[in-house]
Amino acid sequence: MNLGAAPKDAGEHAELLEFDMDMDGFASNWAYCDRLSTYFARMISHNRSDSLLYSNLFSSALNELLETVYRLHAPSGRFVCSVARRGASERITLTVPVDAQTADFYRSAVSVLNDGDLASRYHTALFTDGPLQPNIGLLELAVDYAARFSIEPADGNAIRLIADLKLEETEA
Amino acid sequence: MIADTLVQTYKVSFDENNQELALSGSMRPEHGAEMEACIQLLERSIASIRGTFYINVKRLVRLNNVAFHALAGALLKAADERPDVRISIVTSSVIGWSTKKFGTLSAKNPRIAVEEYDSEFYPGQSFLEEGGFVPVLRTQTKLTWKHERSILPRHGLTPGATMADICCGIGDFAVLVAKEFAPSRIVALDHSKSSLAYARQVASEFDIGGIEYIYGDAAEMLLEDGQFDFVSCRHALQIFNKPEMIVDELVRICKPGGRVYVTNEKISQCLGEPRGPSIQWTYEQLSKLFADFDMDLEFGPKSYQALQKAGLEDIRIESFMVTNRDGDAQAFADMVMAWEEMFAGGMCEKRGDDAAFVEKFRRGFEDHIAAALHPGGYAGWPVWVASGRKPQ
Repeated sequence: MNLGAAPKDAGEHAELLEFDMDMDGFASNWAYCDRLSTYFARMISHNRSDSLLYSNLFSSALNELLETVYRLHAPSGRFVCSVARRGASERITLTVPVDAQTADFYRSAVSVLNDGDLASRYHTALFTDGPLQPNIGLLELAVDYAARFSIEPADGNAIRLIADLKLEETEA
Repeated sequence: MIADTLVQTYKVSFDENNQELALSGSMRPEHGAEMEACIQLLERSIASIRGTFYINVKRLVRLNNVAFHALAGALLKAADERPDVRISIVTSSVIGWSTKKFGTLSAKNPRIAVEEYDSEFYPGQSFLEEGGFVPVLRTQTKLTWKHERSILPRHGLTPGATMADICCGIGDFAVLVAKEFAPSRIVALDHSKSSLAYARQVASEFDIGGIEYIYGDAAEMLLEDGQFDFVSCRHALQIFNKPEMIVDELVRICKPGGRVYVTNEKISQCLGEPRGPSIQWTYEQLSKLFADFDMDLEFGPKSYQALQKAGLEDIRIESFMVTNRDGDAQAFADMVMAWEEMFAGGMCEKRGDDAAFVEKFRRGFEDHIAAALHPGGYAGWPVWVASGRKPQ
């Protein structure tokens, strides 16, 4: 596992923190989702206007993304999670090894997130009996955190899932 | 390697007397089945109560959709099966996500209500949090800092320490400490959003970085245990109706071996000459006025016992007198002038005092101002400082 914080450009965003490990390592322990999201949240929140509030929100959002990846990925390959900042916005980029089935899931999930009545879809999914829909975390981010999603192919059999979040109101 | 100490579990308990199920910590299970014990306690609890069933999630910091799905299913089922029961979920805006998340349950069943606790934060203190009081707070800190900058090292503050200033108000003490002692980290917490907004604005205007201003309830902080070398709480225990709850929290977030530092007043001991009796009468009345709003402005000398009861050791206590002879008589007079407006104005009116009382009450403040500005006058405001070490 590698964890780095070298400041470098990620397009117009300044990269804050990046983590990568083998997917089978990440997927070997459910608690990694909680630990990683908590660690990332603490590290990047200290210079937000309310670091504790920001950390709670960011941890919740990132954890749902990590839990989604934990459940849906190809068996092997490198998993990379990076967080970059531009002003009030945070960009989470997850590079996820995929097979045909999981690639389809992510593409169609992001497609759904960009149209339709998302709040209604999300609330229906929250209260449906039986197992949760696998896209529940992505829906939550889009509805409750106003996240904007995009997806692009990455080297090898992988996709890059990108979520842009703005978690704090800009104060006058 | 990510430290194991970052892993957090949750706690769930039922208080029969208050009909309250309290959930706290981090609930992020992989499978809904892991919530079984919690759901069973919820079902047993709701079966045993009448009227309103409270669910306290003020300190439930993390909750994933797996856990929410399990809780939501159980609550909606309970609401259907017990139409005689009202379910009230108490959230906190300090958490950020919880009011919105649990609010979805109200939309599904209106007998499940969601109440955000923070709106009831210390209503008695509204006098002290309105914009008009900001200049007074600034002046007070300016006057007390002349003393505290040399007192703080005696109570354990050293350069490079990690520090929390709880009930930081407008944050000016944190700024002064940052300049003088260069702590490695300062967290400044308050429950007044307007004070914090002011603090952030000042820090931004003066390009002061590194102070984390955090919104929260000092009596139930979300800061983790044992984080800080030095925890300060100034002029605040005296205006909370349950100061022991705050002291316990100050101790909790302090590192073992670190120190908790509090300052408080004994307002009836304010003094001045000439016209000493008039001044003394007014400040005795001021003490009673605050007591009528559940605030104890006589707390200063009680600080020793408060720290002792909280289990601290090596307790040190001293007092200092801010006076017109400290070098800025006008600032002292300005402070008393602002007190007069705030207390003889707003608070007396709220209590319903008659005009004769208010006139006499004001006279004491005016005599105190006159004493401060008189060429031969002396005016004082005593403050008690106490600190104690958290056992290893």
